[in-house]
This record gives sequence, C-alpha cells and structure tokens, in this order.
Amino acid sequence: MPEITYREAIHDAMIEEMRRDETVFLMGEDIGTYGGAFGVSAGMLAEFGPERVRETPISELAIVGAAAGAAMVGMKPIAEMMFMDFVLLALEPLANQAAKARFMFGGKATVPMVLRLPGGSGTGAAAQHSQSLESILMHIPGIKVVAPSTAYDAKGLLISAIRDPNPVCFVEHKLLYKVKGEVPTEEYSIPLGVAEIKHEGSDLTIVTSGIMVQKSLAVAKKLEAEGISVEVVDPRTLQPLDTETIIKSVMKTGRLLVVHEAVKTGGWAGEVIASVSESPAFDYLDAPMRRLAGKDVPIPYNRNLEAAAVPQEADIEAEIRAILSNQY
Amino acid sequence: MPTPFIMPKMDMDQESVTILEWLKKEGEKVEKGEAVIVVETDKLTSEIEAPASGTLTGILYKENEEAPVTKVVAYILAEGESPADVPTDKAAAPAAEKPEAAKPAQAEEKPVKATPVAERMAAQMDIKLEQVPASGRKVTKADVESFAKGQFGVEPRVKVPATPAARAAAQAQGLAIEGISGSGPRGRVQQADVLAAAQQPKPAAAPPLAGTSKPMVGMRKRIAERLTASYQNAPHIYLTVEVDMSAAEASRKRLNKLAEKQGQPSLSITTLLVKMVAWALKRHPYLNASLISDEINFWEDVNIGVATALEEGLIVPVIHGADKLSLSQINDHVRTLASKAREGTLSREEIDGGTFTISNLGMYGITSFTAIINPPQSAILAVGGMVRKPVVVDDKDTLAVRPIMTMTLSADHRIVDGANAASFLKDLVSVLETPELALY
Amino acid sequence: MATWKKLEFDNYETTDVLAKAKELDLSNDNLLEMYQTMIRIRLFEEMADKLYALGKVHGTMHLSAGQEAVAIGTGFAVKRSDYLLNHHRGHGHFIASGADVGKMMAEFLGKDTGYCRGHGGSMHIADVTANNLGANGIVGGGIQLAVGVGIAIQMRKTDQLVLTLFGDGATNEGIFHESLNMASIWSLPVLYLCENNKYGMSADITRVSSKLPFKDRALAHAIPGYYIDGNDVLAVYEFIKNAADHIRSGKGPVFVEAQTYRYFGHSKSDRNLYRTKDEIDYFKTEEDPISRFRNLLFAAGILDEKRASEIRQEEEVVIEKAVEFAENSPEPDVTKLTEWVYA
Repeated sequence: MPEITYREAIHDAMIEEMRRDETVFLMGEDIGTYGGAFGVSAGMLAEFGPERVRETPISELAIVGAAAGAAMVGMKPIAEMMFMDFVLLALEPLANQAAKARFMFGGKATVPMVLRLPGGSGTGAAAQHSQSLESILMHIPGIKVVAPSTAYDAKGLLISAIRDPNPVCFVEHKLLYKVKGEVPTEEYSIPLGVAEIKHEGSDLTIVTSGIMVQKSLAVAKKLEAEGISVEVVDPRTLQPLDTETIIKSVMKTGRLLVVHEAVKTGGWAGEVIASVSESPAFDYLDAPMRRLAGKDVPIPYNRNLEAAAVPQEADIEAEIRAILSNQY
Repeated sequence: MPTPFIMPKMDMDQESVTILEWLKKEGEKVEKGEAVIVVETDKLTSEIEAPASGTLTGILYKENEEAPVTKVVAYILAEGESPADVPTDKAAAPAAEKPEAAKPAQAEEKPVKATPVAERMAAQMDIKLEQVPASGRKVTKADVESFAKGQFGVEPRVKVPATPAARAAAQAQGLAIEGISGSGPRGRVQQADVLAAAQQPKPAAAPPLAGTSKPMVGMRKRIAERLTASYQNAPHIYLTVEVDMSAAEASRKRLNKLAEKQGQPSLSITTLLVKMVAWALKRHPYLNASLISDEINFWEDVNIGVATALEEGLIVPVIHGADKLSLSQINDHVRTLASKAREGTLSREEIDGGTFTISNLGMYGITSFTAIINPPQSAILAVGGMVRKPVVVDDKDTLAVRPIMTMTLSADHRIVDGANAASFLKDLVSVLETPELALY
Repeated sequence: MATWKKLEFDNYETTDVLAKAKELDLSNDNLLEMYQTMIRIRLFEEMADKLYALGKVHGTMHLSAGQEAVAIGTGFAVKRSDYLLNHHRGHGHFIASGADVGKMMAEFLGKDTGYCRGHGGSMHIADVTANNLGANGIVGGGIQLAVGVGIAIQMRKTDQLVLTLFGDGATNEGIFHESLNMASIWSLPVLYLCENNKYGMSADITRVSSKLPFKDRALAHAIPGYYIDGNDVLAVYEFIKNAADHIRSGKGPVFVEAQTYRYFGHSKSDRNLYRTKDEIDYFKTEEDPISRFRNLLFAAGILDEKRASEIRQEEEVVIEKAVEFAENSPEPDVTKLTEWVYA
C-alpha cells in the first residue's frame, strides 16, 4: 500500500470528492496559487478553477457565514480557517447559524458544510496561532467535531465529513502534516462517531487524539517491553463521541488516562471521564481516572516553554507509571 | 418441524416423573415405538416409547431429574432437520394438551424461572430474563452477570465490581471482597454490603456429622407427597377393635390341611383378612367409596390392596373383585402379587383401582398401629399381630387364653362417620370370630 | 425628537397611481392585492401585539407596523424563486412573500403546526422549501449567509437573486463590510436591502453611524448604493424591480436603503423612552404608508370607502381564523426534543 503524508491525504480527500460531486467547493484565504498556508490545496486551483477553489479576502466571519449560506441552499462548501485560532472570529455563524438552522427551522434545513481547522502547538507560532479549541466546539449542539491522527484516518474521515449533512469541524494538527502513513488508493471512508483502538492493552486505557495519539503510541511501545500493557483508544470523532468503545476499554483495564493538548480546564478530558464515571465501567475501576492536558496557559513562544505547556512523551510515561503504582 | 417427545401422564394426579435412564443419547437414532426413557413414578418403573422415528435431540431433562408430564422432554428430528430447528426455551415448548398454536394471551412472556436476586439484577440492567441462559434450572445472579459482561464483550481485569468505598472498607475490615455479595446495580458491592458482612459473626465451625446422603427422588418422593396430601386433606378418624381369632385360626388350619392334600399352597392370614374385609365392605358402601371433586363415588367392585413393604418403599398390589373370589383364588392372587412385588414386575393394572387397603405389621411383632389412608380411598385397616392373651370368654367371667388381634381402622371423616366406621368394624369382627357368617 | 432630514430620494414619488401602474404593468387587481396585503400585515402585527398582551406569547416579538410599504413593495417585486434572508422584524416580509398567517401565528404560540414546529418562534421563522431561509435573531445574521447563497446561485448559473434584509443598525456590524466586500469582488447576485427605521434598538441611527446615508458605505465597496422613500409602496416596487433586473443580468450586487418608521417599540420590552409620542403620532398620521397608498387609490377611483372597509373586514376574518387555528393546534412532542439537532 502506498504511503502518503497526512497533508496529502487531506488534499486527496478534497480533490476526490470535488471530482465526484460538483456541489463541493473550497473557500479560504490563500488557497489558490499559494496552495494554502500549509500547502494542503496545492494544485487544486489549476484543476478546478477559481469558482470551486475560491480564494477569499481576510474575512473569517464572512467565510464561515458564506459557507453556512451556501450549504443551506444545497452546496457542499469546505471552508478553511488558516489557523484554528481564527475560528473565534467566526464562532457566530458557526454556532448561531450553521449549528442551529436545522433545529430552529423544525428539521427542515440542512447545513452540509465542513470547516477545516489547522491547530495545535509546536511550531513556535506562539499564543494566537497555536491553540487547540475543539473543546469549545464540542459544546455547541448541532456541530460535529472530528480530529484525525493519521493519514489514513484523515482521508477517510474528511470524505465522510464532506458527505455528512451536518456542519463538521475538521481539526488538523499542524505537526502531523508531514507524518506519513499507509493510505489505500481505492475509494474508502471512515464513519464519523466511531473510535479506533490503535494499540490493544490490558493494564490501562489511554483516550487521546491528534498528535497525542502518536506520543501515546510511542510510550505504549516502550512500556510493552517492560510488560506494561497500555491500550490506546483514538476517538477520531470528538462529537459525537464513541463512548461505548471507551467504556468497554476501561471496563477491561480498570484504569483510564485521557491525554490531550487542549487546555485542561474545560477540556474534553473531563467529558470523557464523566461519561465513564456514569457508565457500568465505574464498577471496575481500580484507580482514579486521570487526565494529562495542556496547562492553563497561552502557548508561549520560547521553544522550551512551548514544550512544557503541553503533554510530552515523558509526561505520559510518568503519569502511566504513577497510576499503575497506585500513587493516586 | 421436529417432533416433540412429550412425557405421557399415566396417573390421574401425576404431575411429574423421575427420569431414571435415557436408553438413547443425544444425537442417536430412534425408531417409533422403541423404548427411549426409563422413568419412575410413585408406583412403578416404566419405559417411555419414542413417538416417531428419527434423531433424538434437544434433551431437556437429565437422569435423576424430574420431568413434568404432558410437557416436552426432547425432540426427534426428521431427515434433513437440524438441532437449530428446535425451540430453545423450555417455556416455549408446546404442551401435549394444547396441540393448536399458542393463543395470543400465551404469547405474552411466560414467567422465567429465576432467583429473586437474578430478577432484580436483570431489571436494573435492563436485561430481559428470557435472553439469559440458565446454568441450572433457574436463572441465577451469576448467569445474569455473565450475560451482562457478554453484552460488553470484555473480560474485566478487575474481577469483582465494587465501589472504591467498598474496596477500602473491605481492606479495613480484613475481608476479601470476593466473598461479599453486592446489593448495588449489576451486582456491585457497595460499602454497606462490606459493613454488613463485617457485622455478621463468623459461624463457629461445627464439626460436620458423618453420614451419606441420597436424593429424595422417585418412589420415595412420590410416597412422601401422596401421604402428605392424604394426611392434610382427609381428616382421619381412628377406631380400634380387638378380635378373638381362635375361630378364624381353627378354620384356617382345617382349610390348610385340605389345601395340603390337594397340593395347593396354604392360606395366609392375609388371604383370610382380604376375604372377610371384602364381605364386610359389601355391607358398608361408605368404606368402599372415594371422594373425588365433591362427588362421593360408591365403587361397585371391591378391590382390596395389600400393603407390601419393599426395600425402597411401600407398594400396594390390588386384588380386584375380592368380594367375588373364593379363598383359594384370593390366596393365589396374594401369593402372586407378593412375588411380583419383590421382583419389581408388577403391572399397572395390578396397582390401580384399589378401593380399600389392608396393612399388616403383625409379622414385626406390632400389636397395633394407625395407618394413613391411601387416597382416593376412604379407609385403611391397620392390622397388628396376634397375641395370646387372657380374656373373659363368657358372662361368668371365665378366663381363657385366646389369640387376640388388634385392628385399627382409619377412615376419611369427610365421608365416613364414626357410626359407619364402627358398624363396619363390628361386622368385620363378627365374621372373623364366626367365619360361617361369610357363607350365609 | 430626532432630526428628520428629508434627503433627496433615489426613487420617484408616486403621484399618479394609474400612470405608474401602467408603466409597471400592474393591473388594478394587482394594486388592490398589494393594498389588501398591506392591511393584512398591519392587522397581523396588531393582533400579535394583542396576543402578547394577553400573555399567550412566550418570549418577545419585533413588530413592523409602519413598514408595510417596504415589505409589499419589495416582496411583490422579486420572484418566488428568489431566496429571502429575513431579519428579526420580518413578519411583514414573510407575509408579502405569500406565507400562511395561520402557520405563522402557530409558530408564535410555539405550536407543532407552526412553520418551525414551534422550535424557532418569531425571530427564526422560516420556510426553507419556499426559498425563505429564515428570519435571523442575530443582527446582520442574514448578511453573512447572503454571500454563500449568492455563490450557490452563481455556480448553478440560475437567474435567481438573494434578497438580504437588515436594519439600519446592522450596517455597523463588521459582517456588513465583509459581506459587501466579498459580494462585490465576486459580483454575486445579492440585493442588500436596508430598512432604516431610524433606530437600532433605542439608539438614534444618526448618533451611532459615522456616515449617512448608508449608500456611501456601499459605494465604498464599489457596489451601487441607493436611498429610497420606503413608505411609498409603488415607488419601492418600481425601484426594487429595476434593481432586481440589474442583478439578474449579472451586473453584480446592489445596495438599497429604504427610509421608513416603526410604530411599535423595538421589542415587547421597549417602553419608547428614546422617542416622543409626538414623533410617533406624526408618522402615524402624516407618513403612514397604508394611508398614503389608500389615498392614491381613492384618487384614482380604484378603491372607495365601502370596498376599503370590506377589505379590512376580510382581513380581520383571515387574522381571526389564523389565531383560531394556532390556538387549537397541538404542542410539539417533548419526547422528540433532540430529534433535529443532527441531520
């Protein structure tokens, strides 16, 4: 099977869907000749033309508003925010228009739009260009939130997101763009709302997404040599969350650690832990459920400070050992 | 459709039989009419034949288990059918008495046999009891728990579901959490459960009494059930009377000399008793009657059962039409039945139909005793052994030593009054003390 | 009292109804239909006010009595196939587009038979299948959607336009400029119609806006901008028809500011402290759009007192029936609360 990068996988998902369905089009800043800030839309203008690869002014509010409007009348727009941080400028049309149209209009409207959001830290882009804001988006009923961690997942999930009749926020971690993975050439898609167990284990369950999946898997492999068996569950879709897979895993292992880059307070780890606590898995817990998350701090510029602000492999390993040795 | 193999009902008030042996096993071929199951009722051992030819499958009751009569105990598959065609739930099997399709009312859930704990747990977990496979005759808590786990498809590393507080309490109390039963949802152990277990004093380890045990099944069980029913349902009255057996014995000796000359077996006391009791019964229909569903049936025939002790229990072979038989005929019956009883070869007809029972414990030296009526009969005569006693023989208070036999009649007071019973006994005594009366 | 500057309007005052009607290819029946629908709007708003006063309406309402000419003039000038993005004071526009007043009333009472099955209420009333993409509770909410709808029309190459309604206050939202900018660079078929009724919620628009009339703001985005008398229904009709033709011929978006006035407060919690009773009375007597049109129709001999009275009675019955329908309708099913969160 060919190996392509996460970036290429997203690119391929878009062009394949745009070839299949003429109502799909891309809107965003610098997506044309420049090929997108992260190079994701390279070559697309040449193939599809300026109507379908629609480069916009710097108007996040209008970009998302336009996407919502076009979707309401039957198009399938993919809108791109250059950085996830900028979605804050466009929260209004996302939350008040796209997320609610179907509900407010008594089930008689659909808004099949995708909002692509490159996010996350580690590139030295500092506080206003490094956030992981998926927890805020999960809190709005009517929106789906997807966060792929591999090239294979990225392509399959983006295709499903484009085809989904609901507004879908597609969170891409910038550090993953260059990571390669096996991706089939045949058409495939991954259903939204289905988690994947990326590594099976029996001593402890890690629930994690985005770049933290890679870090968790690295730690899991290292600990395997010592006889510590860690199960890594990647929800892939954060909203709606596949709680069933998570609950079964925690029931099996009796221990849970949620790892995400998003800030700890109000972060979605709390959502996962509360859901597990409310489930039959509670009866089988052998240790307090824990979370490892971004510190409650804007992302700093300095390289070391930036790394210290979010969980790293060493932190994940230390936390697992602490849980297993009953330190909590 | 596989043919249901239904356990036949062989007796009026029979509800179940004990399966002693499956002559054919699961998956073996059987022929229609072939004996497949050996069962024991309270009266005797019988063989049940296959209702059709085919492959035996879906056996629902094991050896030494009780099987309900008129219900399906197995299935016989025709050519081309597979065990998958067999309905899996015992409750779903059709009853022999209702061959038509189940009525809509019966389509409602039949109560599943489950322990109260299992029922509660299943309700809490939103599990339908019908779906839970029972490891035994009833669905237990363990069955529900493993079904629930099966629903999640995982084997938890933590074996016992318990709250953190419960585990801490168990540790503090020095108790193993495995040994504590949980009152929480899904069988979870709560702190309160641990505290309650800690409260209970440990039972002093009593040295167990040595001995062996035997399941109460089959004939023994049936006897227990019937006698209990009789004792509970029929208010017994007891009348005791003494008989001077000298005339009867003298008569019997003369007859035995005759029999010896003819090469016939000698007559027993039992034979004489049967003849005389039959004579008396003919004159007292209330003692040859049965109360069945508010109807008193006065039987035409006098069928006297003779209680016979076997190692495994009591059996009562019946001499039919005893009032019409001669002494020698009665004697033959008595001897034949006794030997068949010992060999275990009595037939249904030889057991059924008794209208009165005589029970004699004289051979054990018992002077008198009371017996429990054999339902649906209305009376039973308990006969003790003959004892040589001094008695007053005339109105001059002359004493003489005579063979005195004490008889106690138990009668069902619902249909037999004291006067009737007394009158019967008076006649019986008369005919035993003056045997010629029977010829009159 | 706010300064009422009578600037020069870009539309032509109607003096001779018959002449104008002939020019616009409107029959007498068309004119009477327009008049009757204006009455319907007025009575509807008054009834809505009454229902609210009786405590039957949960929440609030934004009534447009006084703005009927804009609603009818615009609503009759565009096609049913055109998209409508309405604002929160949009009952009149909805009625002008042919909505069923019974289903509207039912929606206000939160009933299952309402346009939004009781899930939206007055501020979110919509009929998506009839190309009415809803009233919007966010000021300028429709302005952002307009660009997207325009893109869709353009990519599909139909002759539709999207009529985007908003008030004077919305022109100060950032989205106003982002939207006009985008519509301009892509020549999108958007008709931006601003109903200037002089006040945002309570703020006099002249006090909070840097440049009036707003058409200058449109010109800043290279979009043709106009300022018209919104209370002359035929003048509105004429102007909007021309604007629509311009847009349909692919010449890009148009911005129109229609000057008008509202009699009721912004919402039901408005106690009108920011304007005087005299001002309101002035507009009700001197500038009322229905009276103006009626007088013109009388003068042209198309309408007389008797017929006017009959029309009013007919519409009263229509409104009463609507209320009856709404009151007798069932409530939505609570158990289906989350049914329409996701498609």
